[in-house]
Amino acid sequence: MSEAPASANERRTFLGIILAAIGAFAAGAFGWSLFRFLSPVERSGEDSQVRVARDLVAIGGVHFFAFQGRPAVVLQPRAGEFVALSAVCTHLGCIIKWVDETQEFLCPCHAGRFAASGQVLGGPPPRALDTYPVTLEDGDILIG
Amino acid sequence: MKKILLTNVLFFGAFVLLTGFSAAASPSVCIECHGGLSGQLGEIPTAEWHTSVHSRSRVSCHDCHGGDPTDYVEAMSADRGFIGVPVYAEVPAFCGRCHVGVEEDYRASLHGQVVEFGGPNCVTCHENHAVQVASIDLINEISCSRCHTYDKPALIKQEISDTEAMLSRLDNSIASLYRVGFDTGQLKDELFSTRNNFRRLFHSVDIDKIRAETAGFDADLEETKATINALEETLGQRKIVGGAFVLLLILGGCIALLIRRTYENKE
Repeated sequence: MSEAPASANERRTFLGIILAAIGAFAAGAFGWSLFRFLSPVERSGEDSQVRVARDLVAIGGVHFFAFQGRPAVVLQPRAGEFVALSAVCTHLGCIIKWVDETQEFLCPCHAGRFAASGQVLGGPPPRALDTYPVTLEDGDILIG
Repeated sequence: MKKILLTNVLFFGAFVLLTGFSAAASPSVCIECHGGLSGQLGEIPTAEWHTSVHSRSRVSCHDCHGGDPTDYVEAMSADRGFIGVPVYAEVPAFCGRCHVGVEEDYRASLHGQVVEFGGPNCVTCHENHAVQVASIDLINEISCSRCHTYDKPALIKQEISDTEAMLSRLDNSIASLYRVGFDTGQLKDELFSTRNNFRRLFHSVDIDKIRAETAGFDADLEETKATINALEETLGQRKIVGGAFVLLLILGGCIALLIRRTYENKE
């Protein structure tokens, strides 16, 4: 006993459902990819702020630390005034060092010079060092 | 139509003229004069400089030798900061104005301590005008044997070769990721910084120090490698998803054809 062949309408409906399912899946995959592409980069919350003890940063001195996985530095150019900067040279990414005598940063790779404010003083760096917000809390310096 | 064409032609002409003028706005009179001279004062250094990493990085004559590259008359005036050619023992200080860190390690090394007595300076190994991006190949028997036996350099080369090979591999991986559209700026910076510090280390030519500190650099490179691996994994996933998407579209096309045939059969 053989079943009657499916009519053209039934075939069309069946194929239409499959095509719609494929279309929905493809649209979903495309939409999800677009959403992921446009979403901001996820950052872990634990590194979003760093606490540095105030007595680690003398007047005219600096303290290097890691901020969001990258080298950073906090300094106290004048009593009670704190500045936090990225310690990565904006030329080719080397780690800057502090020169006490001249009170400025020097990049050991190609002699880029930065002021205590992060501004370029000389050499090849194309722009100033990135700065981070600083607040004081319970005798500590909060960066970020 | 003609108006649009005319506007395009004018725009293109203005672009060519402006870029031409901006290129001509910063000529180096050093190259213009010395390029026409023969020998060591002219065609040789200028031709060598054109092949150098300094040329590719837009470090020109006046960046090392001082002077004013925009003024034919005052180009070599001391008032404009012209230094000229340093004497042999002053070459490290000459190069060290930019290569601060490397100079520091070189000065502390045996090489640096004997430079006053004819020991090797920067250009002994790196050349002067034809200076290239440094590689491990600079340590070789022909070069080192000009001054001493090759035993110790061979040991140093053996000690650093794995790390250098890793640096080279990571460099290639970053370049590949960049080519397919990843933002590799931070990775490149990290690798450059590690490479520069590592090169500083072996300028000390101190085998014990190199042995002790190479592991630290390897650990830094492992971190960079982990980031690169994560990006490569993402790339692999994207390729699979892209492939699946294309297959879905083909399947959708086939089904659309089948649907069309249901209409044809009806007719």
